Amino acid sequence: MESDLTSFAALAPALPEVVLAIGALVLLLAGVLFSKDRYEGVAIAAVVLLVAVLGLVVFQPNVGQVFNGGFIEDAFSRYMKALVLGASALALVLSFNSARENGLNKFEFSILILLATLGMMMMVSANDLMSVYVGLELQSLSLYVIAAMRRDSAKATEAGLKYFVLGALSSGMLLYGASLIYGFTGHTQLDLIVGTIAEGERSVGLIFGMVFLLAGVAFKISAVPFHMWTPDVYEGAPTPVTAFFAAAPKVAAMALLIRLVTVSFGPITGDWQQIVIFLSIASMVLAAFAAIGQNNLKRLIAYSSIGHVGFALVGLSSGTETGVEGVAIYMAIYLTMTVGLFACILSLRTETGHVETITELAGLARTRPFAAGIMAVLMFSLVGLPPLAGFFAKWHVFLAAIEAQLFVLAVIGMLASAVSAFYYLRVVKTMYFDEPVIQFAPAPRELAIVMGASGFLIVTYFATVGHSLTNLAQAAAGSLF
Amino acid sequence: MPTELALTLIWSLPFLAAVIAMAMPAGARNGEAWLAGTVAAVGLVLTILLFPQVADGGVVHSTITWMPAYGLDLAFRMDGLAWLFCVLVTFIGLLVVLYARYYMSPKDPIARFYALFLAFMGAMLGLVMSGNIIQLAIFWELTSLVSFLLIGYWYHRSDARDGARMALVITGTGGLALFVAMMLIGHIVGSYDIDVVLASGRLIAEHPLYPVTLILFLLAAFTKSAQFPFQFWLPNAMTAPTPVSAYLHSATMVKAGVFLMTRFWPVMAGTDMWFWIVTYGGLATLLFGAYAALFQRDLKGLLAYSTISHLGLITTLLGMGTPLAAVAAIFHIANHATFKASLFMAVGIIDHETGTRDVRKLSGLRRSMPFTATLAIIASGAMAGVPLLNGFLSKEMFFTETAIYDPNVFVNLSLPIVATLAGMLSVAYSIKFVHGVFFGPEPTGLEKTPHEPPALMRRPIELLVLACLAVGIIPGITIGPYLAAAVVSVLGGDTPYYSLSVWHGFNLPLIMSIIALLGGVAIYVPYYRRLRGIDGDPLLRGLRGQRIFERLLITATNRWARKMVSVFGTQRLQPQIFIVVLLALAAGVGAGWARMGNLPLPSSFDPVLGLVWIVGGVSALAAAWQAKFHRLAAMILMGGAGLATCITFAWFSAPDLALTQLLAEIATTVLILLGLRWLPKRLPVPEDISIGMRLRRYRDVILAAAVGLGTGLASYAIMTRQAPEGISEFFLANAYTEGGGTNVVNVMLVDFRGFDTLGEITVLGVVALTVFGLLRRFRPAPDSADRPEQQRVQADFAEAQGSANVAADFLRIPALIMNWMFPVVMTVAIYMFLRGHDLPGGGFIAGIVMSLGFILQYMAGGTRWVEDRLRILPVLWIGWGLLIALLTGLGAMALGFPFLTSAFAYADIPLIGKVPMATALLFDLGVFALVVGATVLMLIALAHQSIRRPKPASTPQPRKREGLDTWN
Repeated sequence: MESDLTSFAALAPALPEVVLAIGALVLLLAGVLFSKDRYEGVAIAAVVLLVAVLGLVVFQPNVGQVFNGGFIEDAFSRYMKALVLGASALALVLSFNSARENGLNKFEFSILILLATLGMMMMVSANDLMSVYVGLELQSLSLYVIAAMRRDSAKATEAGLKYFVLGALSSGMLLYGASLIYGFTGHTQLDLIVGTIAEGERSVGLIFGMVFLLAGVAFKISAVPFHMWTPDVYEGAPTPVTAFFAAAPKVAAMALLIRLVTVSFGPITGDWQQIVIFLSIASMVLAAFAAIGQNNLKRLIAYSSIGHVGFALVGLSSGTETGVEGVAIYMAIYLTMTVGLFACILSLRTETGHVETITELAGLARTRPFAAGIMAVLMFSLVGLPPLAGFFAKWHVFLAAIEAQLFVLAVIGMLASAVSAFYYLRVVKTMYFDEPVIQFAPAPRELAIVMGASGFLIVTYFATVGHSLTNLAQAAAGSLF
Repeated sequence: MPTELALTLIWSLPFLAAVIAMAMPAGARNGEAWLAGTVAAVGLVLTILLFPQVADGGVVHSTITWMPAYGLDLAFRMDGLAWLFCVLVTFIGLLVVLYARYYMSPKDPIARFYALFLAFMGAMLGLVMSGNIIQLAIFWELTSLVSFLLIGYWYHRSDARDGARMALVITGTGGLALFVAMMLIGHIVGSYDIDVVLASGRLIAEHPLYPVTLILFLLAAFTKSAQFPFQFWLPNAMTAPTPVSAYLHSATMVKAGVFLMTRFWPVMAGTDMWFWIVTYGGLATLLFGAYAALFQRDLKGLLAYSTISHLGLITTLLGMGTPLAAVAAIFHIANHATFKASLFMAVGIIDHETGTRDVRKLSGLRRSMPFTATLAIIASGAMAGVPLLNGFLSKEMFFTETAIYDPNVFVNLSLPIVATLAGMLSVAYSIKFVHGVFFGPEPTGLEKTPHEPPALMRRPIELLVLACLAVGIIPGITIGPYLAAAVVSVLGGDTPYYSLSVWHGFNLPLIMSIIALLGGVAIYVPYYRRLRGIDGDPLLRGLRGQRIFERLLITATNRWARKMVSVFGTQRLQPQIFIVVLLALAAGVGAGWARMGNLPLPSSFDPVLGLVWIVGGVSALAAAWQAKFHRLAAMILMGGAGLATCITFAWFSAPDLALTQLLAEIATTVLILLGLRWLPKRLPVPEDISIGMRLRRYRDVILAAAVGLGTGLASYAIMTRQAPEGISEFFLANAYTEGGGTNVVNVMLVDFRGFDTLGEITVLGVVALTVFGLLRRFRPAPDSADRPEQQRVQADFAEAQGSANVAADFLRIPALIMNWMFPVVMTVAIYMFLRGHDLPGGGFIAGIVMSLGFILQYMAGGTRWVEDRLRILPVLWIGWGLLIALLTGLGAMALGFPFLTSAFAYADIPLIGKVPMATALLFDLGVFALVVGATVLMLIALAHQSIRRPKPASTPQPRKREGLDTWN
C-alpha cells in the first residue's frame, strides 16, 4: 500500500481542513492557558480563523484526491464548504451578543463550533465510507455537546440527551449500512463502489446497505421520518445554538447525501430515487401540517427546516445534474434565509431573554419596524413568493423534478408550499396586525448588519447574486457527473 | 424614443416610484398623488405612442438577459391584447389616483397607500407584458401579494385582516398552481418564451399531460378571477379602501384570470375538457353572482357580486371556444372595467359624503347629489345592458353566442336560458342600486348631511361614464381599431368578421335582451321593499363559501395539524426511538425480503457450542428482562452473555480475541458495578399496570424480538457468503516475515498499524483524564447515600447477636483471597506481556490484567485501605506509557528509518526461555503502561465517589487523609 503522504505539498487539497484543525487545537490550548474566563478573544479568533479558511477554500483552489482517495476536493466540495464555513462564522457572530445569558460564554463553545465545522468539511469532502463516518461523528459529537452546553437548563440537557441517543442510533444504522456495502462491493471508496455496482446485478446486501446508509444520513438532514429530534433540540438549545444547528450541519449532511447517491449509487438510481422521493414527500407534507399548530417560534422554525429539506430533496429526487444544481442553489438560499431569521430573533430581546413564541411578536411592526420588515421579507421568501430568493430556490428544484417527469412529486410539493404559507403568514399577520405587548431592547449592531444583508440578498437575489450563484452551482453539480 | 426603452419604462417606472413614495414624508399627500399620477400618465402616453406598432398584429419586444442557461430572461412584449390591458391599467390608474387624492383621509398612512398602489400598477403591467411564462407567474404572485397588503391597509380592522388573509390564501394558492402549470407548459413546448408557446398550435392540447396542466392552469385563473367555487374571497376583499376596490377588484387584478385564459386561449382552448369546465364554471358564476348581488345590503357587496357575475360572463365566453366568443370576451373586459370602476368610485363618494354604504339607510340622494346620481345611473345602465351604452353591445354579443345552435340538447338549452336569467337578475340589481340609493324619500338618520363631492373627485367618474357612452353609441370609431388589434393578437389568422354596430336588426339576441330588461323590472318591482331590508340571499345564505372555507381552514390548520403532531410529533424519547427502530425494521424487511434468496443451513452442528449459545442467549434475554427493575441482576446476566461470546471466539480459533473480550468484559463490568452504587439497585415491579401499558410492553417486546431476529438473520446471510478479498490476507502472510511475530493481532497493533495504536492510546489517555476530571467535579452530597443494604442487614443481625464491629470485618475472607492474589495477577500480567508477540497476549491485555489486580484490591479493602498501603500514580503511568511509545517510534527515525519502523530478534532469558525481543516490545510496553494508568485513573475517580460519610448511624471515626489528598 503506497502512501501518498510523502510531503506536505501533497496535502494541498486538504489545506483548509489542516489549517482549521491546527487552528482549533491552538485556540483550545490558548483558551486553557490564557483566557479561561475571557471567551471573547477565543470567539473572535475563531471567527477570524473560519473566515481565513473560507478565503483558502475560495481563492486557493487545489482540486484533487488525497489520503489514498479518502478525501476529495472538487468544485462541489468547494461550493458546499464555502456555505458551511460562512454559516458557521455567522452563527458565531450571532452568538456574541447574548453569549452570557445563554451560558455560552465559555471558550469551549467556539472550539466546539470549529471542530463541528471541521467535521462538516470532512463530510463534504469525504470520498470513502470511513472518512464519511469520521467526519460525521466529529460533527455529531461536537453538536451533541453544544446542544447540552447549558447544563443548568433542564430543557437543554434533555435536548442534548435526546439528540445523542437518537443520533447514536442513526450512526449505528449508517455504520451497519456501510459495512454491508463494503461486504458486497469490496470497496469503501465511493468512486470504486460504483464500478462494482455497475458490473454486477443489484445484490440484496447492497440495497440493504444503501437503505441503512441513507437512513443514517436522513437523520442528519432531519428528513421525515428521522426528524423527531429536530423540534425538541431546536427548542431546548439556546437560540444562538439553534441558529448554528439550523444552518451549517444541514448543508454538510445534504452535500454528503448528494455525493453518496450520485457518485456511488449512480447505476441504481431507480432504487435510491424511491427512498429520496419518499423522504421528500413525507418531509414536505408533515412539516407543512405540523408547523401550523406551533406557537413556539423555534419549533416552528424546526418544522420549517424539515419542510425545506423536503423541498431540497425534490431536486435530488430527479437524480440529474440539473437536480443537484437546484439543491445546491436551494441550500445557499436556505442558509441565507435561516441566518437572517435567527439574526432577527436574536435581536429581539426582553429582560427575560429572547423572544420565544409567536404571540410575543405581536405588533412588532410598530415597535421595531426594521426587524419586522426583514422578518416579513424572510417569511414571504420562505413561502416561496416571487420575486424573492425563496421562490427561485423552489423553482430550480421543481424544474428539475418536472424535467425528470416526476409530476406527482412536483404537484405535492406545490400543495405543501401552499399549506406552509399558513404558518409563515401567521407570523407576518401577528407582527403587522396585532397590538404590541412587549417592548424589545434595541438590536446590537452586528445583528442589524446581518439582518440587513440577508434581507438585501433575498429581495434583490433576482438582480444581484442570482446569476453568479447559478453559475457556481452549475460548476459544482458538473463536477459530480 | 426607442421601443425597447419605452417598454422598460412602462413597467419599471411604477416600481421606482413606489420606492420613492415609501421614502416621502408622511404629510406629502399632494406630492405623492402627483408622483403616482405622473407615473400613470407617462405610462399611458408611452403605451398610446406604441399603438401603431401593435395595430396589425405586430409584437414589440424588449429583452434583458439574465439567466440564458435556463431560458430565463427578463422579457417583455406588447401586442394588441397587452396593449389594451396596459391602457386600462394606466388610464384607470390615473383616474383612481386623482380620486384617491380626495378619498383618502389625511389621517391614513398615505405613503404606504401610494407605494403599494404604484407597486401594484407595476406588477400588473409586468404581468400583462410578460414575454416569458415564468416571469408571468412571478408578476402574477406579486399582484396577489400587493393586493393582500392593500386589502389589509386598515389593519386595525379585524374584517380587513380576515379579508386580506383569505384573498392571499386563495389567490396565492392559485399562483402556485400557475407555476406548476407554466413549468408543465414549458416542459411540453420546450420553451418558456411566450411567443414560442403561442405558436405551438395544438401541441399542448394533444399532449398526455394536458389534463393536469389544464386543471392547474384553470385553478389559477378561477381563483384570481373569483370564479365559482372560489368566488367568496372577492366580497370579503371589499374591506379595502374604495380606490383599491375600484382599481384592483373590479378593473384590473381580477381581470388577470380572464387575461390569462385569453392569452393562452389559442393553445389551450378548443378541447371538450376546456369547454365543459370553463363554460359551465363561468355560467355558474354568472348566475350565482347576479343572484347574490340582488340581496346585498352593502353597496360595495352588491358591486362585488356583480363583478363576480360579469367575470363569469367573460369566462363563459372564453369557454365556448369560438373565435367570435373570444372577441366578445375581450370587448366585455374593456367595457366592464370602464363602468364598474366608475360605479365603485360613485359608491365611494356616497360612502364618503353620507358615512354609510348601507342600502337600507340610503335613499333619495338624487336631490342632494344630482351630478353623482346622474353619472351612477348611466353607469348602472351600462351594467344592466341598456342600449346605447357599452355594456349593451358586449352583452348582445354574448347572447348571440349563447343562442348559436349546438347539437347537444343540454348545451343548446342551458346556455341561452341561463344567460337570459342572469341578464334579468343583473337588471334587477342594477335597478335596486339606482332606485334604492337615489330615489325615494329623503334619507334620515345619516351621520353626515349628504352633498356633492369636490369637482375633481367626480372628474374620474365623468370621464369613465363618457367613455361608456362614446363606446356605446359610436363603437366603430371609439374602440373599433383597438379592439381589432387585441383580437388579432389573440386569434391571429382566424379572426372572424364581427360587427360593432349598435343595431343588428330584430333578432333572437335582441329578444333575449328585451326579456332580460323587462324580466328584471318584473323581478324588482313587486319585491323592492323586501329586497331593501334583506341581507344575504334566502336560498343560499346557509351555504356560504366563506364559512366552508373557514371550516376547511380550521380543519386543515388546526385539527389535522394537531392530529399530525400528536401522532408523529411526540416529544418523548421512547416513542421516538420506537418509531426509528420500527422504520429501520421496515426498511430492512422491505429491502431484504425479496432478495434474500436461499439461506444455506450450517453444514455441521456442535451440540456443546449450541448449549453455550443457549446459555448466552438466555442470559441476554434475562438481562433485558431485568434491565429496568433489578440492575445488579441484569449486570451479572450481561456478563453471562459476554462469556458466551468469549467462548465462541475461542471455539473458532481466535484465542486472542477471546482473551481481549474476556478481559474487557470483566473490566467494564467492574467499572459499571462501581457506577451502579449511585443508581437504585432495584425498582419494585409494579403490580397493577393497566391493560394499555401491558399491551405497549408486548408491542415493544415484539418489536425488539423482530429487530433482533432480523439483525441476526442479516448477519447470518452475509457471513455465510463469500467475503471479498480484504487486507487480512496480507497480514497473515507477512506477520512473521515482516513483523517478527506469530500473533498476527499483536503484530498489527504494534507494528503494521503502530501509528494507529499510538493514536488510540493517546485517545485512551485523554478519555481517562476526562472521566477523572468530570467525576471529580461531580460529588454527591456527603449524606446522600445510605449504608449498603447488605452491610445494614449484617450489622443489624450482629447487633442482635451481641457481637460488635461487624463492619470492620466485612468481606473479610474474599478480601484476604484478593490480597493474596495481587502478586499472582502481577506475574500473569508480565507473562501475558512478554509472550504477546507470538502467542495470545500483548501489552493491551497485560495492561487490563494488571489493572484488574488493582481493581480487586479496591473492591476488597475499600478505597482508604488500599491507598494507605499502595501508592499508585496513574497519571505517571499514562505519561510514561505515551512517552515510551513515542520514543520507540522516534528511535527508529533517529536511526534513519521511517517513524515506528521496528526491528526484531530473540533473546534467551534464563528460566523463561527464548523470548522474542522486537523493538515493538518497547512500544508494547508503552501501551501496557498507558492501559494500566488509564484504567486505574478511571477506577480511582469512581472509587473516590464513595468516600464520604455514611448517614450518621454511628459516631464518625477519625480517618487518615494523606493518601486521599493526592486525588482530592
